[in-house]
Amino acid sequence: MTKQPLILLHEESLRNSHPIFLFAPKETQVIYVWDDEYVLRSGYSLKRLIFIYETLCEMKVDILRGSTRDILQEISPSVVYIPTTNNGHLLEMIRSVEKFFPVEMVEDEPFVNLKKTMHYKRFFQYWSKVEKAASLQQGGQNA
Amino acid sequence: MLTLKNQFSDREELVAYVRSLAPWAEGRQSIILGGRQQAEIKLHTLDPIAYATTRNYGDGSVSRLSPYIHHGVLSLNEVRNHALILCKQPEQITKFIQELAWRDFWQRALSQNPEWAWKDIEPYKTGFNAEAYADLLPEDIAQGRTTVGCIDAFILELLQTGYIHNHARMYLASYIIHFRRIKWQAGARWFLQHLLDGDVASNNLSWQWVASTYSNKPYIFNLENVDKYFGKQVDTTAKHNRVLDASYEELHLQLFPNVRLKV
Repeated sequence: MTKQPLILLHEESLRNSHPIFLFAPKETQVIYVWDDEYVLRSGYSLKRLIFIYETLCEMKVDILRGSTRDILQEISPSVVYIPTTNNGHLLEMIRSVEKFFPVEMVEDEPFVNLKKTMHYKRFFQYWSKVEKAASLQQGGQNA
Repeated sequence: MLTLKNQFSDREELVAYVRSLAPWAEGRQSIILGGRQQAEIKLHTLDPIAYATTRNYGDGSVSRLSPYIHHGVLSLNEVRNHALILCKQPEQITKFIQELAWRDFWQRALSQNPEWAWKDIEPYKTGFNAEAYADLLPEDIAQGRTTVGCIDAFILELLQTGYIHNHARMYLASYIIHFRRIKWQAGARWFLQHLLDGDVASNNLSWQWVASTYSNKPYIFNLENVDKYFGKQVDTTAKHNRVLDASYEELHLQLFPNVRLKV
């Protein structure tokens, strides 16, 4: 059987209009893994888990229970599309996936585009650079 | 691999199902519902103009969109675009846009510096080094039984709903770090356990800001301030909040005896 691409959602990307759905080929299978080890490690209270689950139930996504690595090995995708994150636990999970499969990270739509890199030390240094664009539709990207 | 259920007859059934998936998870469900439909309902009650003048008050026009933004149910771009439609001039909603920008800033800061999530960015500017702060959150705080009236009210709201006003978060963080001398990491971990919008970047860097490990001075508050902003919502009587009932000068001397107060 030909290997197929796969979208692996995580808790910070629960929206049907996330750019990942345009980035990946049409008809790509979308999964969310309920990984007991990850859930336990997160230490989340029940109300947090319920909020995530309620949100998932409104989405077009297969909710699969098991170890992320085992599930991906069973599906054996050609490539795994994953939304970007800076959550350390999720990054560890993503690194473990990268050991076995090609991974493409997909950014969410930006709030503003910053052309020059800067050091994000104090908020008002950043604000002075983005205020104008942040106050425009689409962050001024249509202007 | 097991495909989990995604249709339920009512919320109770869903709650019982999730509880069976994670029997170790503490607490109960929140009254705040997840999902895109709820996010859109909240988005359409947004008043970004009133936000500018009332946001610091317990009953102010805050959006309560953060749980949906954190989970990506709404993007910052989408919320900003919607807010702009609701005003005649963008200047009317600068404070609201700035609040969204804070979240964008925290995300960028943590992406650029992943180690900032749990390590002190700078030393404390409290006259104490990090070793002077306790590692663990005491049980009276975790359970909302500190006997400080307003603090316990904020904690109970956090435990029950998974959401508290941003100003109340700052009071709680300041109380834990500066009044109880506990490491910010212990408080940040506890918030992440309970807050529906618990986000490592926004949460932990805000705790570092209150602690003074990511700002020029520690953030403190007193009872007069709580009474001004939350007097209608929580018990702000002096009798039940003695530890907070002092001037800023008195609190500074008491909490940071090794640091000279800058006037």
